[in-house]
Amino acid sequence: MSEDRREPEQSPRGSTLRRLLSDAASALVFPLIAILISFVIGAVIMLATGHNPLAAYVALVQGAFGSPTALGRTLLGATPLIFTGLAVAVAFRAGLFNIGGEGQFYIGAITAAGLGVALGSLGPLGTLLVLLGCLLTGFLWGAIPGFLKAYFGAHEVITTIMLNFVAILLATYLALNPLRSEGLVPGTETIDPAARIPFIGLGLGRANYGFFLALLAAVVFYLLLWRTRRGFQIRAVGLSPGAASYAGMGIGVNTVLALAIGGAFAALGGGVEVLGVYGKMSIPFVEELGFTGIGVALLGRNHPIGVVLGALLFGGLTSGAQEMQFATDVPLQLASVLAAIILLLVTATKLVELIVGKRARELASGTHLERETGL
Amino acid sequence: MTERESAGTTGAPVVLEMRGITKTFGPVKANDDISITLRRGEILGLLGENGAGKSTLMKILYGLYKPDAGSIFIDGEEVEIHDPKDAVERGIGMVHQHFTLIPPLTVAENIALGAEPRKGVTLDLEGATKATEELSERYGLRVDPRARVADLSVGVQQRVEILKTLYREARILILDEPTAVLTPQETEDLFSTLKDLVADGLSIILITHKLGELLGVSDRITIIRDGHVVDTVQTAETNERELARLMVGREVLLRVEKEDAEVGEPRLVAEGLVVLSSTGAVAVDGVTLSVRAGEILGVAGVDGNGQTELADALAGVRHAESGHVNLDGEDVTNLGADDLQERGLAYVPEDRGSKGLVLDFALYENNTLKSYDEPPFSRYGWIFPKVWRRRAGENLRAYDVRPPNPDARAGSLSGGNQQKAILARELSGEPGVIIASQPTRGVDVGAIEFIHGQLLKQRAEGKAILLISLELEEVRSLSDRIVVLYAGRIVGEVGPDATDEELGLLMAGRGAEEKSA
Repeated sequence: MSEDRREPEQSPRGSTLRRLLSDAASALVFPLIAILISFVIGAVIMLATGHNPLAAYVALVQGAFGSPTALGRTLLGATPLIFTGLAVAVAFRAGLFNIGGEGQFYIGAITAAGLGVALGSLGPLGTLLVLLGCLLTGFLWGAIPGFLKAYFGAHEVITTIMLNFVAILLATYLALNPLRSEGLVPGTETIDPAARIPFIGLGLGRANYGFFLALLAAVVFYLLLWRTRRGFQIRAVGLSPGAASYAGMGIGVNTVLALAIGGAFAALGGGVEVLGVYGKMSIPFVEELGFTGIGVALLGRNHPIGVVLGALLFGGLTSGAQEMQFATDVPLQLASVLAAIILLLVTATKLVELIVGKRARELASGTHLERETGL
Repeated sequence: MTERESAGTTGAPVVLEMRGITKTFGPVKANDDISITLRRGEILGLLGENGAGKSTLMKILYGLYKPDAGSIFIDGEEVEIHDPKDAVERGIGMVHQHFTLIPPLTVAENIALGAEPRKGVTLDLEGATKATEELSERYGLRVDPRARVADLSVGVQQRVEILKTLYREARILILDEPTAVLTPQETEDLFSTLKDLVADGLSIILITHKLGELLGVSDRITIIRDGHVVDTVQTAETNERELARLMVGREVLLRVEKEDAEVGEPRLVAEGLVVLSSTGAVAVDGVTLSVRAGEILGVAGVDGNGQTELADALAGVRHAESGHVNLDGEDVTNLGADDLQERGLAYVPEDRGSKGLVLDFALYENNTLKSYDEPPFSRYGWIFPKVWRRRAGENLRAYDVRPPNPDARAGSLSGGNQQKAILARELSGEPGVIIASQPTRGVDVGAIEFIHGQLLKQRAEGKAILLISLELEEVRSLSDRIVVLYAGRIVGEVGPDATDEELGLLMAGRGAEEKSA
């Protein structure tokens, strides 16, 4: 017997767009509170260490968005995080933890580096084929923990973590042995510029059209989950495996697909990074982007709009931190501290409740987006 | 054995008083200024619908919730109860609806658990066994202290739960819906035990939503509705009709008006069906049954005798090991839930929260949970939420779901409205066969009336209905025929006019196994 005679929720009826926006807005309140609090804590730290927080934050924001160069840096940093954030979010929607974004990113990167050299002469068609190749290898790689989970009961957290090592070492081996270039820098050969993703220009530095591919991926994510049968199944399985199977949906197939689709998103991110930024996979390759994606998904409440904004925030923090250190002597690492506090607050909802009061938390988290994360 | 006293406890001292208890959860006042008194040697019935606030009140008494306002007096002394340990120390014992026993341990071990007698640093198991034997002797609660709890029937396990509270010297005993899991005979045994206990000076609070039971056993009845005490009546001076009116707040049809219906061809047939439970044990052991058009076949039985597995297998949710299921003459064994749904089979599963609904989905998503892959709700893999919303709005109004807002989260509805939302989904698709498993469990009286009415309407339209329920009254009043399930087998078929005794014996496996524990 439960006492849950809560007031019926009244959500406004309206156009799809309005509903989408109001969903996103209500989902944003909570992360915003977390960000605000973390900046306050950061200010206290700076005061305690004899810095001027106001000047530091001005420099931080300027360094992130204050000039075309700064904005370009932010977009550049945000692009892979959108992909890896989506990779985590799609699994979350199915009730699964995908910790394998890092390895999936590497799989995509090595696929792009290998295929890119082979198909470089095809120009833009080559780019397209390479990206499709990344989707395919990421999908297959992501499906492995899905199969292990669905048909052998292996917990996806363990298997995705373990597969990270396999993927990273496999990619490193391929880059240093069969695909190794003659050049001085260890890594693969450089891809023909004709097959690479072009820069946006406009003074945005190295920011490239990969950012728009990431936005496109977020749109695809939305359509897939909220406008297709498969997405409906994935969400139903994530929220209530019991009810989903009683409705005749297969738990196993949706588990495999959710993790495989996540792998495809992350691998696409790796491919875009290679084609858009480096033109090759050098060893050591960029690290931690897959893991940061977990934070991006958490911060973005597993909603594509939230993921994009979360990625921009993390990208902005990284790029603004350089300016902050240059202008005010506040060490670069403060940005990492801020990011860590934000994540801590986003995950430890009870902690925010203590700080801002229960009402505010309910207000912030009482959306169905929040509940849908199942955290 | 102590001398039996009559129920005249009016002059006895008050052992427990709860005064002005108020408890709110968010916007809901679960308890609003509730006051009750309990006298020594009395059985007080606490009657109310699901969600009326009975459980909240008892959880406050047992230290599980902290009240917002109000005070508790035990033996005239104001007390504060912070946690169940406090409650136990003050002589309050609680028998929960779901038992808190550890199956692999023996009866004596379970009873002593947490309050173990010691010999030096070692456990004095012999002492525990002896103490259990003494208690069992004293109160006529027959149970072998050395038996493993896992081997005991539910009725005997309940005795162990009661002994557990007595071992901790409880003087005030709270029983939360104790008869939900018992056969009629076991219920009678329990009530006679309770009478012995109060004769010995204990005081008992009996929580229930079953009217009839309280009339037989209690001394006074306090009725709670929407968090308020509506009235407290002397049992001897009331009747079922008045209690129902007090509980619901209006006149209630206690009997279902059922017209004769034209019975047609068999539509759902099971032959020699064998189904395993989730743990791999044989749960359904060769069931053969047939549900014809225009009739309701009731399945009675004590909980856990294969009802869930039978319904699941018939609906294609669970794999049948052997045997056949026929739907409208076609073999549909192990065809899968999706396929059966498209062939016109509706299934209302017993557990609406985890099987019937995705609580975190909006009502419109739940309304299309099964037909999401069929036109006009979906084409070429795409889904059309606008169509879903429109259809959901129509269905919710037709089945009186409140609020009829397609965007409301399913989990925010009351149990009754959740169940109506499931009916709206299952019945609006014009099914030919309906399997309803405990369709009114934990649902308020108003919703029960509505759900019964809908099932009878479907019957009148020539649908074949399989009704599985633990509530004998429900099975009897709705069914045209009743089969009794015991240990996965059908042990008998009776008409709707069968007596409690007949049904009870069948539910206990013809009465042969009942006494053995």
